[in-house]
Amino acid sequence: MKQVWTVFEFTLKDVVKKKAFIISTVIIVAAILILSLVPKGISLFSGEGEKQEESGAEEAPAETGNDGAEEGTDVCYYVDEANLIPGGMDALSEGYPDIRFEKGKETDIDGYRKKMEEDHSVSVVWLTEQDKRPFIHVVNRDFMSGVSADTIAEILSDAYVSQTLSALGIDQTVIADMSQPLGFEEEMVGDLNVTGYVLGIIFTMLMFFAIYYYGYGVAMSVATEKTTRVMETLVVSAKPSRILIGKCLAMGALGLMQFGGILLFAVICCMLFIPDGFVLFGAPVSLSAITPYTAVFLIAYFILGYALFAMLNAVCGASVSKIEDLNSAMMPVSLMAVASFYLGYFTTITTSANGTLQKVAMYFPFSAPFMVPSRLLNGGIKTWEMLVSLGIMLAAIVVLALISVRIYSASVLHYGKRQSILKLLKKAE
Amino acid sequence: MSLHVDNLCKSFNGKVAVDHISFDMTEPGVYGLIGTNGAGKTTTIRMILGIMRGDSGSASWNGKPISRETLAFGYMPEERGIYMKNKVIDQLVYFGRLRGMSREAAKKSALSYMERLEVLEYQDMVAEKLSKGNQQKIQLIATLIHNPELIFLDEPFSGLDPVNAEILNRLIRELTDEGRYIVMSSHQMSVVEEYCEDLLILHHGKTILKGNMREIKAGYGHTNLIVSCGGDVSAVAKDCGLQLLERRANETEYKINGDEMADRFLKELVERQLYPTKFEIKEPSLNEIFIEKVGNEL
Repeated sequence: MKQVWTVFEFTLKDVVKKKAFIISTVIIVAAILILSLVPKGISLFSGEGEKQEESGAEEAPAETGNDGAEEGTDVCYYVDEANLIPGGMDALSEGYPDIRFEKGKETDIDGYRKKMEEDHSVSVVWLTEQDKRPFIHVVNRDFMSGVSADTIAEILSDAYVSQTLSALGIDQTVIADMSQPLGFEEEMVGDLNVTGYVLGIIFTMLMFFAIYYYGYGVAMSVATEKTTRVMETLVVSAKPSRILIGKCLAMGALGLMQFGGILLFAVICCMLFIPDGFVLFGAPVSLSAITPYTAVFLIAYFILGYALFAMLNAVCGASVSKIEDLNSAMMPVSLMAVASFYLGYFTTITTSANGTLQKVAMYFPFSAPFMVPSRLLNGGIKTWEMLVSLGIMLAAIVVLALISVRIYSASVLHYGKRQSILKLLKKAE
Repeated sequence: MSLHVDNLCKSFNGKVAVDHISFDMTEPGVYGLIGTNGAGKTTTIRMILGIMRGDSGSASWNGKPISRETLAFGYMPEERGIYMKNKVIDQLVYFGRLRGMSREAAKKSALSYMERLEVLEYQDMVAEKLSKGNQQKIQLIATLIHNPELIFLDEPFSGLDPVNAEILNRLIRELTDEGRYIVMSSHQMSVVEEYCEDLLILHHGKTILKGNMREIKAGYGHTNLIVSCGGDVSAVAKDCGLQLLERRANETEYKINGDEMADRFLKELVERQLYPTKFEIKEPSLNEIFIEKVGNEL
């Protein structure tokens, strides 16, 4: 135990003193500080209206399609010389009150096209007859400007149906009634925790980053000791298992300190600088989803998730004789980490919490740290489910640690051509 | 106290690296493990120390198996390895603590050895800023910091300049005077010849010669003659059947078949009024013995 502590202490001090660690921490802390001051900055520049501005995107009419571009469209030439849809232009003027519709001529269409090349505020709606039905052509300058073809088609279709029914002698009030969409109501039994949802996704990504980054640190540390031959001095002083455990614990503690410290700082900044009820892109910015209960489980998942991958990474680090081989040695573990992340992430963002894939992601030890935190922040997981998931992870860590220590011991003094994990396993027997 | 190595064997992928190596070290001093690169010296040491499992055989210290837990041994590997980015004193304290020392004791011991090896001024420097020779001294201190009774030095003199070699030479003599047991592996015959009373020559994992250096040399008898003379003795040497080994600036070394040949040669010189200023009859050098033995094996 004393040797584990000695390795732990030395490794931790060594990494904390490194410039890369200090600089990365300072940059992240500064970035958090700046980001948390953004709302204050917005209010300084735009006064009290920032809430509306920030949430304005949500309020834009859904049916306008290229709505941002339409604000700049002044003129839309409407060409229907055969009067295929009587009252079509009026209907469009109602649908697009900000656009001035002008009657155009078919012979001028090429002229409109040329005009459009220089002026993004010009567009053309042009009707022809195909199969004895009106056919709509919409000409815009580009994807980002003009009018939405879908919306134009919808408005003109309504006008065409109305005109056809009227021609059949159906009463205008009936036509008007039929044109009205049926009313509906959607009821949500639970509360959609927008903050929890967003935080969940952020945490899933942060968890992946942290587990991968600190696990990589273990691999790098082991590989450096091996390739610089320090390992030969170390293994005569301490059992490889103690070196491995001390190193993994140190990097894990470093992760908790740095990652936890940064998160704590972010929470403090959020509380100090972000005003209550601040809304960003329609979502209220608050940390209500983080409670002592969720924090405990988040930490537990980080520790166990890190430990799981750290063991594998240490074996990768011990299997190389040259530091440049480390990335290729880590490839299988990296692929597994990425696959587990995507399994966790996609099962997180899908709605059903009871699907088979969700259950697999929750109990599979490698994907659990990327899946459960998000569910936890959204209140979509029961305590017993997390305890079972953590128990499975713990069991996996114990099994993996036993195997890893054997492989590590067998490989730390092997120099020369890199051996596959299977060969090392055989050697470790 | 004694080191007993019994029939150590090790193969890698069917290739024999160490083949039934046995030797004993019963008194303090330096025991030489000699061999060319790849002869199996490092593998033998690793098996003795228990950091590599042998296929068969055993090694014991005072009758007990050697392991990190049972014996505070010291091992300086052939490939030097220290933390390049860390301060010298920090890493020495770390190595000392791994050997069970307290922080204070480790620091005290480290500073003491640094003084003996004349590197005290570098204690607060990062290792990468030191010369290779000084880095090697730091590695040696990491080996000795916990004052081990049994020390393994794998090629300790490689890469050292004459000044640093002399400092290490002094330290090794001090250690043997203190009663330490040192197993020194080297392919530099002159080094082994200087320190080792007993030795074992390895070739392709096999023992090709083992025993007390003096006895081994005595077994060969007087085979070399070194002559220094004002006049040219080459004609006389040829007449007496001496075989030229090496002509140096002020002396010449010949191969002889025994004391009688040397005696006849000396008489002949005197008769021809050639009076040598140096006439030294010698046993063969370790290098000659090694080449003869290894050559026979090849």
